[in-house]
Amino acid sequence: MKVALLELRRRPWRFAPAVIALVLLTVLLLVLGGLLDGLYNGFTGALRAQPGELLAYAADARLSMLRSRIDAATVAEAERAPGVAQVGGLGTALLGATVPGQATQANVALFGYQLAPRGVPAPPSQAGQVYADTSLKAQGVKKGQTLFLGPKRYPVSIVGWVSGTNFLLQGGLWGNVDTWREVLASARPDLMLAAGTYQVLTISTAAGADPTRVAAAIDIATRGTTHTVMRSLAVAALPGIKQQRSTFNAIIDTTFFVAALVVALFFILLTIERMEMYAVFKAVGASSAQLFGQVVLQAVTIAVLSFGLGALLALAVSSVIPPQVPLQLSAGRAIEVAVGLVVMSTLGSVLSLRRVVRIDPATAIS
Amino acid sequence: MGHHRAAALKLENVRKAYRSGDDEIVAVDRATLEIGNAEIVALVGPSGSGKTTLLSISGGLLSPSDGRVLVAGDDISGYDPKQLTKFRRENVGFVFQSVNLVPFLTARENLLVVADFSRRDKKKSAARADQLLDELGLEQRKANLPAQLSGGERQRVAVGRAFMNEPDLVLIDEPTSALDTRLGEQVMELIVTEVRARNTAAVIVTHDQRMTHHADRTLYITDGVLSDAPRT
Amino acid sequence: MRFGLLGAAIGLLVFLVFFQQTLLSSLLDSFTGALQNQSGTISVYSFEARQNLEASALSPDIIARVAAVPGVDKAGPLGEATLTFLANGRQVDMAVIGAEPGRPGQPTKLISGRPATMPGEGVASSEAKGLTIGDTVTTSAGGSPVRIVGLTEQSQLNVQPTLFVTFGTYTTLRKAANPDATVVPPSAVAVIPLPAANPKAVAASINAALPETAALTRSEAVANAPGVSSTQGSFAIVLALAVVVVALVTGFFFLILTIQKTPSLTLLRAVGAPGSYLVRGLIQQVVLVLGVGLVLAVGLVSAATAVINVGLPLTVDPRALVASTMLIVGLSLAGVAFSVWRVLRIEPIHAVSRPGLGGIE
Repeated sequence: MKVALLELRRRPWRFAPAVIALVLLTVLLLVLGGLLDGLYNGFTGALRAQPGELLAYAADARLSMLRSRIDAATVAEAERAPGVAQVGGLGTALLGATVPGQATQANVALFGYQLAPRGVPAPPSQAGQVYADTSLKAQGVKKGQTLFLGPKRYPVSIVGWVSGTNFLLQGGLWGNVDTWREVLASARPDLMLAAGTYQVLTISTAAGADPTRVAAAIDIATRGTTHTVMRSLAVAALPGIKQQRSTFNAIIDTTFFVAALVVALFFILLTIERMEMYAVFKAVGASSAQLFGQVVLQAVTIAVLSFGLGALLALAVSSVIPPQVPLQLSAGRAIEVAVGLVVMSTLGSVLSLRRVVRIDPATAIS
Repeated sequence: MGHHRAAALKLENVRKAYRSGDDEIVAVDRATLEIGNAEIVALVGPSGSGKTTLLSISGGLLSPSDGRVLVAGDDISGYDPKQLTKFRRENVGFVFQSVNLVPFLTARENLLVVADFSRRDKKKSAARADQLLDELGLEQRKANLPAQLSGGERQRVAVGRAFMNEPDLVLIDEPTSALDTRLGEQVMELIVTEVRARNTAAVIVTHDQRMTHHADRTLYITDGVLSDAPRT
Repeated sequence: MRFGLLGAAIGLLVFLVFFQQTLLSSLLDSFTGALQNQSGTISVYSFEARQNLEASALSPDIIARVAAVPGVDKAGPLGEATLTFLANGRQVDMAVIGAEPGRPGQPTKLISGRPATMPGEGVASSEAKGLTIGDTVTTSAGGSPVRIVGLTEQSQLNVQPTLFVTFGTYTTLRKAANPDATVVPPSAVAVIPLPAANPKAVAASINAALPETAALTRSEAVANAPGVSSTQGSFAIVLALAVVVVALVTGFFFLILTIQKTPSLTLLRAVGAPGSYLVRGLIQQVVLVLGVGLVLAVGLVSAATAVINVGLPLTVDPRALVASTMLIVGLSLAGVAFSVWRVLRIEPIHAVSRPGLGGIE
C-alpha cells in the first residue's frame, strides 16, 4: 500500500491546481513545439528533403537560392570533382496558383528537379505534371486537378502527393526540369534561365568521402564560381530562420522552466498543508528519506497523468486550429515534453525537501 | 540460570529545559523511574505538569537536556534525529491525545501505514493488522474512513496502530479525555488486554484519577517533578 | 506565505505571457518593421506580385496615374531589393529601400542623424552591428559608395540590416549589381492620402482606377507580407493559449482555496459576517495576488529581455503588455466568479453541525 498514491486517489482535489497547471502547460508546450515544427518545415522542407549532403550555390548569391545561377559548364566541372557521386540540378519559382473552385490563389513553390528528394518519386516523365505537397490540401487542391500558375495561367496537373516539401511557407509542387523552365518563361520571364542552367545543385557524395572536403573540392573544380555547403548550413541560411528558431526555443525553454517552478511552488504549498500528517508519520518512524520519496512519487505520477491529459487536449486543440496555420504534432516532441515534464516535476518537488526534513515529529504529540 | 532482561524503560535523572529569552523553563526536572517488561504505569498530573514532555522523551520524540534514557536496554539519550526515527519505528508505539488518524485512509490502512515505513513483510503485517482490529472489536469497521467512525472507534484504531510494530513500549497520551466514562472504561480495558497479551510495557498519561485502577502502578508529576504519591 | 507562493506562481505564468508576446512581436517586427515604419500609408504593388514586395515591379508612368486618383495627396516610387554590400571589410546582405526625398516612403523611426536627401547617402538600421553614422558601404565590387547619415530602429526587412536611400541611389545600386539591366522599375508606389480621406477607401479607389495594381493600406501590407499571416496565426494561438492557462490556473487555485477555507468562512458567517464582506475579502485577495504576480512578471520580463540573446533586438511594448494584463485580470476574475458563488452559498448553520474528524486535515 502506498500512502502517496492512495492520497492522490482519495484526495484528488488537493492536487488539482498542480494537475490543471501541468495539463495546460503540456498543451502549451506541445502546441508550441508543433507550431515551431510546422513553421520550420514550411520554410525549409524542400531543402531538408534533398537527397545529397551538399548543396552548391553560385558564389555571389550568398546562399540565396533565388539569386543563384549555375550554368552548364559549371555543372560539368562540379561533376568531375573528386568524391562526387551524383549531381542534380534544382530550380524553383515562387508563384500564385489558381485552384479550381477556390476564390483565393494558393502560394506555391514550383520546383524542377533531377535528383529526387526523400519521399518524392523520380521526376514525372511529362512536362506539366507535378507532385503536390499535402499541405496544399488545405487550400482545396485535389489529386488529378489542374492548377493554373502565374498571371498567364500555365497549367500543371497533380499526379500524386508528397509531404514535407514546402519552401518559404509556399506549397511545394515538384515537376521535371522542363516544366520549371516553361513556367518561368510563362510567369517570370525576367528570371528565365538558359537550358542547362540551374539555380542550385544538389550533390551526393561517394560512400566514405568526407562531405566537407568534397565541398571544398567542388569549389576548387569550379574555380571559385560556386559556394558549396552542407545541407544543414543552407537551411540555416534561409532568411529569418535562425532567429525564428532561437525565438521559439527561448519560449519553449522558459515554458519548461516556468513549469518546473510552478510545480515546485505547488508542492511546497502541499507540503505546508500536510505538515501535521508528516509529523505523525515521522512519529511512527518514517524517515525523511521515505517521506521525501512519497513526495517525489506523487510529483512523477502527477506529471505522467497530466501529460496524458494534456496530450489529449492538445490533439483536440489542434483539430480546431485553421488549416492555414502550419501545425505538426510529432511523437518526438511529445516524448521530449513528457520526459521534460517528469524531470521538472521531480526537480520541482526537490525544493520541498528542506521542509520535509525540518518537520519535528514532536509536534504530533502536542 | 535465569536471563536478566533489561527494563522496558529506564530514566536516570532526566531533565528537559527550554530557553525563553533570558529565562529557563524546566519542563521535566531530574526524573528517575524504571518500568518492567509487562508493567502498566499510569502517569497522572495536571496540564502543564510536564507529563507529555516526559512521555515524548521516553518514546524518543524528544531528546533530554540531561540524563539518560534507556528503552529495552538501548541508551537513546544521545541519538540523532535519524537514529531516533529508526528507534521509534522498531521499538515504540504511540497513541496521541488528538488521535491523529490519516483522514483519507481506512481503519485498516491506518494500521498498515506503520508497516509501509518499516519494510516488514507485507503479508504478515496485513494479518497482524486484521488481528489487532478484530481484538479491538473493529471487525466490521475495517474499511471505514475516520469520518465514518465514532470517537471511541477512532481511539481504538489509534490503539491498534500503536501495536503494529510489535513495540517493547507503548506510550499513551490521555486516551479517555474525549470519551464519556463508559467508553473510557472500554478503551482502557482494551488497552490493558492488548498490553498484557503481548507482554508490552505501557505508560499511560492521564489527568483522570478514575482510570488509574487499570494500571499496576501510578506515578504523579507536578511542575516537572516525579513522585510516587500525589501532592497534597 | 501561501499567497506569496501563489503570487509567485501567477507571476511566473504571466511572465511567460509577456515574454512570449515580446519575443514574437520583436520577431515579426524584424521581418516587417521597414514596411510598418515608413511614411507611405498606402502601398501600391503590381497585381501579379500577390502582395509580395519582392515580386512586385511597376512601370514608372503608373506613379502619375496613382497621384491622379482622388484622395491621393502624395505618391512616389518605392524600390526594394536585397543586395550584397561591403561594410567595414566584410560582406553583408542588406535590404535596400529607395524613395524620393520629400515623397512617401521615408523611414519614420529615425533615432539619430537625418534622412538621406542626396545621392550616395543612406540611413541604416541601428540593429546592424558595426554600422554607425559616418561609415561608408559599397557594393561588393567596391563601387557606388553610400555614406551613412542616420540610424533607424524597428525598421528592418526580413530580419536583415536595412538601408534607406534616395530612389536615385537605389537605381544606381541595382545597376551596379546587374550591369545588364537597362531600366530599374520601382517595386511599388508609396502613397500618402489627403488628411481627411479614409486610407481604405482611397486604396479601393486606386484598385478600381488601376486594375493592374493592388493597393494595400500599410497594415494590410504588413499582415500580407509573405509568411507573415501564417506566422502571425501561429503566434496568436500561442499567446491565446498562454493567457487561458494563466486565467484558468488562477481561477482554479482560488476555487480550491475557497473550498479548503470553507470551515473558517462558515464560522465567519455564523458570527454574522455578511456575504458581501466575504466576497470583498476574496476579491481583495485575488487582486492582491494578481498585483504581486504582475509586478513580478514585469520585473522578470525586463530582466529576461536584457539577458537573453535570440539574434534580434527585443523591444518590450508597454501597450501590448497592458492589453494582455487586462485580458488576464478579466479572465482570472471570471474564473474566480465560481468561488464567489460558492462563498455566497455558505450556510452559517454548518458551523455548528459540521462533524469534527478527530484527525488531521
